[in-house]
Amino acid sequence: MSDERPAGAAPVPPSYAPPGHGSGPHAVPAAAPHAAVAEAPLPDDGAAAVRRSRRRGRGAVVLAALLVVALCLAGYLWVAADRWRQSSDAWQEQARAQGERVAELESQLSAASSELAAAREQLATATSRITALADEKAQLGDENVASQQYLDYQRRVSEAAGVVASALGRCTSGQSQLIEYLRTPERYDPADLEQFGQQVDTLCAQATAANESLQQELQQ
Amino acid sequence: MSRGPAGRPPSAVGNGRRPARPVLLAGALTAAATLLVGCGPVPPFPPLPSEGPSAIAASDLVPGDVAPAAPSIAPSEAAHLSPDGFDAVQRMAVRIRNVGCGALSTGSGFAIDEHTLITNRHVVADASSLQVSTYDGRDLEVAAASTAGLADLAVVRTEDPLPSFPRLGDADPVPGQHVTVVGYPEGRALTVTQGSVIGATNDPLNANLGQVLVTDAPVEPGSSGSAALDDDGRVVGVVYAKTDDGMSLLVPLSTVQQVLADTTAFTPVEPCA
Repeated sequence: MSDERPAGAAPVPPSYAPPGHGSGPHAVPAAAPHAAVAEAPLPDDGAAAVRRSRRRGRGAVVLAALLVVALCLAGYLWVAADRWRQSSDAWQEQARAQGERVAELESQLSAASSELAAAREQLATATSRITALADEKAQLGDENVASQQYLDYQRRVSEAAGVVASALGRCTSGQSQLIEYLRTPERYDPADLEQFGQQVDTLCAQATAANESLQQELQQ
Repeated sequence: MSRGPAGRPPSAVGNGRRPARPVLLAGALTAAATLLVGCGPVPPFPPLPSEGPSAIAASDLVPGDVAPAAPSIAPSEAAHLSPDGFDAVQRMAVRIRNVGCGALSTGSGFAIDEHTLITNRHVVADASSLQVSTYDGRDLEVAAASTAGLADLAVVRTEDPLPSFPRLGDADPVPGQHVTVVGYPEGRALTVTQGSVIGATNDPLNANLGQVLVTDAPVEPGSSGSAALDDDGRVVGVVYAKTDDGMSLLVPLSTVQQVLADTTAFTPVEPCA
């Protein structure tokens, strides 16, 4: 590229080059094959020095910027990590508290379930007992009614037996009276004796029928 | 191609403006980085679910599909429960003792309102007195009894209030429908039996007008007058007989409703002499 530079180009003043970088008049020319140029620094050397200087400056700026970015990033990460740690601690504390709460609730639930099961069992026992007692009461009521009906029956049977006994007694009395009449029949009107005898027969027949009915009833 | 004073393309040299671009770039990068990440505000962290652990329900922490089911009373069960532990099906059933003239028989019945219960005609027939008792053994005073002429049904009115009474269903049960029979078979303890409707048939006893329903719910003598309930606890029939093959016969709900709607269908029970 330097070959294309015009011969009349103005050289760069030596003071223009930055000190300490070897780009002054004693510096080795950038293009070694051109020995004549080495004794008198070409204007390109100064420009190159300027460019190198500028590159170094830019590098320093970029490095500074990167350093700032790195520092800020590090700061952010530190803050973020600290906050995450705090958040994590809070979460862990809350999880632990909730775990304890869950364990307590589970314990209460278990106790309540046991109590409920026991109460249900007691309730079932109580209802069964109530049903059984109601049944026993009903059966006793039935037996009471049946006994009352049996007593009524026995009373009716006793009354019937009394009536039958009375009828049989009257029959026996009538027959005895008829026998007495027949011992001295000349003292009585034959028609009256006949009528009395029929009445006694009727009475005895009725008493006998009642007695047979009673006996049949008693046999049932 | 045009060239600049230093013999370089203008685009490469830039007339001295080229050095400013990396600096500006670096400055912009620094500022952006500073604003975006470095020195900007730290984004907020996800907050805790609440201020205190007690404010969180246990259900928030335990997955619902594996959470142990808390013991509870099923709604259907709770709706039927009474304070004494008997359900409505049991509480509405009554035991009827027919004290006849030298005879004693028992049957079942069920309440349809606070002072009225339904049973069978043959349960209350030839009675000198009727005695009604509840599921818990309480005796209720009977005010009057009347029987229907066209069905084996009777209505008994009580002086004392009945413990509970069910609702009547909407329609007759269909074959296959599940039924529950509650009554006092053999005059013994209150019993609840289950079965399903087999079908309809002509009344073999000629005690009812029209067809009756056949179910396989077990019944015994003394179950006459028991209510047949559907799964919702509504009356869908009245047990009145048992067949030789162990099937139970029901007066269908439609007949019950028809008879109940006709106030002239009932005549007072004539006491035995």
